[in-house]
Amino acid sequence: MIQYNRFELSNGLRVLVHEDNSTPMAAVNVLYNIGSRDESPTRTGFAHLFEHLMFGGSAHIPDFDDPIQLAGGENNAFTNSDMTNFYDVLPAQNLEIAFWLESDRMLSLNFDPKVLATQQKVVVEEFKETCLNQPYGDAWHHLSDLAYHVHPYRWPTIGLEPRHIEEATLDEVQDFYFKYYRPNNAILVVSGNVKTREVRALAEKWFGDIPPGVVPARQLQPEPPQDALHRRISEANVPLDAFYLAFHMPGRSDKDYYAADLLSDVLSHGQSSRLFRRLLKEKQLFSSVDCYVSGSLDPGLFIIEGKPNPGVSIETAKNAIWEELEMLKTQPIPDAELQKLQNKVESTLAFSETSVLNKAINLAFFELLGDANLINEEAQLYRDVTPADIQRLAQQILAEANCSELIYLKKNDPAPIAEPTLVQESTVS
Amino acid sequence: MLNRTQPPLIREIDFLQLPPVEIFTLDNGIPVYVVNMGTQEVLKLELIFFAGRPFEQKQLVARATAAMLKEGTRSYDSAAVAEIFDFYGSSFRTPFNTDTANVELHSLNKYFEQVLPVVAEILAEPSFPQKELDTFIRVNQQNLQVDLTKNDTVAYRMVTELIFGPEHPYGYNSYPETYGALLREDLVQHYERCFTAGNCKIVLSGKIDSQILSALNQYIGQAIRPGAALTAQPQRQPSTTRRMHIHHPDTVQKAIRLGRDMCNRFHPDYPGMYMVNTILGGYFSSRLMENIREDKGYTYNIYSTLDTMCFDSSFHIGTEVNNEFANQTLDEVYREMELLRREPVDAEEMAMVRNYVMGGFLTMLDGPFNVSEVVKTIVTEGLPMDYIETLTRALQAITPDDIMELSQKYLNPDDYWEVIVGEMKD
Repeated sequence: MIQYNRFELSNGLRVLVHEDNSTPMAAVNVLYNIGSRDESPTRTGFAHLFEHLMFGGSAHIPDFDDPIQLAGGENNAFTNSDMTNFYDVLPAQNLEIAFWLESDRMLSLNFDPKVLATQQKVVVEEFKETCLNQPYGDAWHHLSDLAYHVHPYRWPTIGLEPRHIEEATLDEVQDFYFKYYRPNNAILVVSGNVKTREVRALAEKWFGDIPPGVVPARQLQPEPPQDALHRRISEANVPLDAFYLAFHMPGRSDKDYYAADLLSDVLSHGQSSRLFRRLLKEKQLFSSVDCYVSGSLDPGLFIIEGKPNPGVSIETAKNAIWEELEMLKTQPIPDAELQKLQNKVESTLAFSETSVLNKAINLAFFELLGDANLINEEAQLYRDVTPADIQRLAQQILAEANCSELIYLKKNDPAPIAEPTLVQESTVS
Repeated sequence: MLNRTQPPLIREIDFLQLPPVEIFTLDNGIPVYVVNMGTQEVLKLELIFFAGRPFEQKQLVARATAAMLKEGTRSYDSAAVAEIFDFYGSSFRTPFNTDTANVELHSLNKYFEQVLPVVAEILAEPSFPQKELDTFIRVNQQNLQVDLTKNDTVAYRMVTELIFGPEHPYGYNSYPETYGALLREDLVQHYERCFTAGNCKIVLSGKIDSQILSALNQYIGQAIRPGAALTAQPQRQPSTTRRMHIHHPDTVQKAIRLGRDMCNRFHPDYPGMYMVNTILGGYFSSRLMENIREDKGYTYNIYSTLDTMCFDSSFHIGTEVNNEFANQTLDEVYREMELLRREPVDAEEMAMVRNYVMGGFLTMLDGPFNVSEVVKTIVTEGLPMDYIETLTRALQAITPDDIMELSQKYLNPDDYWEVIVGEMKD
């Protein structure tokens, strides 16, 4: 049970406090309700680029990282399709430093052109490191593009291509900032060795005078139901053939999300899960196989990926997956198997509550979903799922017409990637 | 009116101490280091066997033996073992460590006594089925093929091989043939030699009560056979080749690794080198990040790291950079090393690094599972229990002159091996 207090400042900033006196630390989490789904189709990757700019100096403070480190703290951030989330973890005695820093970058940035130019390069290198220079690194690009044709989930958070990031201008940066980075579009969570009274006073002092903005109402086109299988074959510089099956599934605040999440756990959570046990271990069809959900706020994806063993065709491997999916549609899972999944969820939640930072991030996330108290109700929501729910979700989600299929085929004459060759060596005496 | 240019006062952390660790001895003589803290009804049990690479008689046997423990015992097959741990929501892992083979159980307290007998049987009577070994070999050979397409992995493999030598436990690399040569007898023999009570230590953390301790003694205190503690003395055989370029066509970034051998935690230079590493590339505002990422934008990430192990240590600098700027990046790395050799670090930067490092230690001592990681390092490397106190006191006393002196000793380009992997056409 995570106890918390919640209040709102007059500028619309929502504040949540979780007191935990078993730790010497405090975590400060600022979530902005802005993600890559809010981007323009010609400026994909902008929300994430913007996250980088938030560290480049604000109205009164030239550098964000130095003071946090001087206070003995650490900080970082992440962006996804739905939100941009910043966090600081520092000794509780220096809590106010985080308020000083986070409030100044909510008040205004310095909009230094040099910061923009450098971070554009850094983000392009990040794009290369995570997507272009990794085998299968562009899988998410292909899958978003195959599964979504209308909704902005059709591009990945890193952006469609480096060019979109390179072309961003300082005017666009300013416009984006004053539209979305406003107190009435943010959630502040403080957890750790703090008192609510103290946090309230600090919040009023540092955030109270930041003017609210006019945040544009989000009007996203829902993705219409898919009515036929989407397929793509990518002949690529990959060491092993691989395939991905992506199915549309309910969004994070849909009641059926929990059954869909457990459905993915039946298939691949833990070494006793069905795909691992039957297809990798028993039938020896795969060298790796996995299943997971994207967990996005709008209807997301349920993904199965696998790399067949040498000598096993993609077709054979895929058929074996479909057999498992058919079984889930025709037979309810045994009670004991469901209980196993629910025990795992209980354990995962208990371990995640041992970290002040996790608790702060989760509280902010559930507040964004509409009710912070969901953090305490999730375990029960998972426990309420029945075998019939899982079967119903399997029938609803795991249909061929709802599927996007991506296949990677190793190029016939791949570059000699497995055996790098020595081209130059020099000996220093 | 609020003055936003004036930062709030920072209070420094002046003293740090490991929370009390109780030592309890099982009937078979295994010491249990108990970290009893936390608010959740959960625990972590970690058994440490000195059974890693320095103790193996054939390459990859240490890793294979640890990984295969859970693949079958006298009364459970691989599927039954997995089913039991998953059913009780626990996680049972045998994470790969260079020096040790660790067996790690995360469990809800209420199910500990349900899963503990299985842990005991895994340790006492593993069966190493041939069929499961075949699967292990096949899966690892396939995964290795994927890893070997990553420039960064190839660069790391090569630089450690150059520093320690291709036969050294810290230097050798796995190949499909190394996996292919693994025999069931190798694993059985390694298990019998290394998985004994005299060669084992345990760290138990979370909300721990006497019932948990007595259950531990009842099962683990009986299951593990007696045997002697093992030691090893691997000898480094560094390469005379200092620079190596490996061509990987059609890749859009180059991976760069620089590395050398380094003193370990017992050496008087260690606390100072901890600071040198942090300043050079050990945190976000390090010299390398500020210069090569934040000023020039050549990379998403660049770092340095101290890799300390039981019998030797190394120091690395690593990054993946824009193909065009690999040479400039190398020049800048060497320039930053030179700056540290030539100019004392100013007071402001010293204060930031010192406070950052102290804050890092405070985090390491936050909560049972962080503390257990610290205790595991102490126990594995044979350090005194007051190590954190001694180290943090020493860190606070490091001066700019110490940093310069140590940089002159350890940041000399002639002592480094340099590996670049990527498109070498240009």
